[in-house]
Amino acid sequence: MSALAGFGHSLPSGLLTNESLATEFHVTAEWIVSMCGIETRHAVAPGETVCDLAERAAAACLRNAGITPDKLGAIIACTGTPHRQFPGVSAEVQKRLNAPGIPAFDLHLASISGLYGVALANRMCEQWGPTLVVAAETMTRVMAQEPRAKETAILFGDGAGACLVTPGNTPLAIRDIRVVSDATFSEALRLDFASTLQMDGRTIIMHAVRKLARAVSELLERNSLRADQVGLFVFHQANLRLLERLMQELKISRDQCFINIDKYGNTSSASWLIAASEARAAGLLQAGMKVVVAAFGAGLSWGAALVEVTEGAFA
Amino acid sequence: MPLDEKIQEALGRVAKAPIPTDREASLFDAGVIDSFALVDFVSDLENEFGIKVPDSDLLPTKFESLAKIAAYLSGHGAA
Repeated sequence: MSALAGFGHSLPSGLLTNESLATEFHVTAEWIVSMCGIETRHAVAPGETVCDLAERAAAACLRNAGITPDKLGAIIACTGTPHRQFPGVSAEVQKRLNAPGIPAFDLHLASISGLYGVALANRMCEQWGPTLVVAAETMTRVMAQEPRAKETAILFGDGAGACLVTPGNTPLAIRDIRVVSDATFSEALRLDFASTLQMDGRTIIMHAVRKLARAVSELLERNSLRADQVGLFVFHQANLRLLERLMQELKISRDQCFINIDKYGNTSSASWLIAASEARAAGLLQAGMKVVVAAFGAGLSWGAALVEVTEGAFA
Repeated sequence: MPLDEKIQEALGRVAKAPIPTDREASLFDAGVIDSFALVDFVSDLENEFGIKVPDSDLLPTKFESLAKIAAYLSGHGAA
């Protein structure tokens, strides 16, 4: 049995507004909001790297969890936008945290990698000890590659989120977690070397809605829960319209969902971790509350987790 | 009711623009359905025609025109 013992997140100070994108693509800011519900995104500055974001989120997470880097048992860095081929973001985070002598590696799975990281840490932390899962992305750099398409350029932002997975069942017990990949439609969402993102949006949305809804429904069924017994749903923040469709499919209310895509856009692997970190900071993780996390991304890969606040409010 | 009429009726529930009379015309290019309306439309087809569209068939090209939708439904036992 393992638990989430802390969250942290980091966002670069630069902003990418709808107004600037609207000017570039000859559309209106209102059109952008209507397409994806995003008002603004954060963007790295020249010279700022994915490692900077990862380091800040990791440090915030460890502060929140109340442990020092020398107590870490492993580091898993999750990103689809590493600063180089190798060594990965994990090596840089390990160096900057000064946590040598423990496993440190990258998961290169884009949007789903944060959830994969937690699923892996959930299995391994009894052996490794407290495992830092940090997801960081500089998606605006990817989207800066030509040719830029408005349909994708409006979606993405930069950011990092982190959580600490520890043996035990407090404060946020991981009750169930399952991740899946199926490469049948792998070409529908891909990032080739020195290229911009290639996304067949229609295919991706069809599969995202169906697979996320199914993953959550099966998770609830396995745990004999109804959707109305879940206090909070934290989904990968891909597109507000997708989230709304998912709410409709699962028959859950907007009040049950933590949504921050309007402020940050789609930050890929970091998105649900940033959302979870903000939900904790806002005092939303109340004693006894059941929380469902679900994510979807390239691969295609998807998954869902059930966690429960086991002692007092997790704040 | 003929298959095409049933399809047009289902399309009408999600359509964002007039349905083209050309059976081969792209419903996406004509602005009839977008990505999210497509999700609703496929779900509607499943209910209306009593079929299950498997994940392996979740491809927009299978549903991009009246002709293709009719061919798909006919091939899956709908009439």
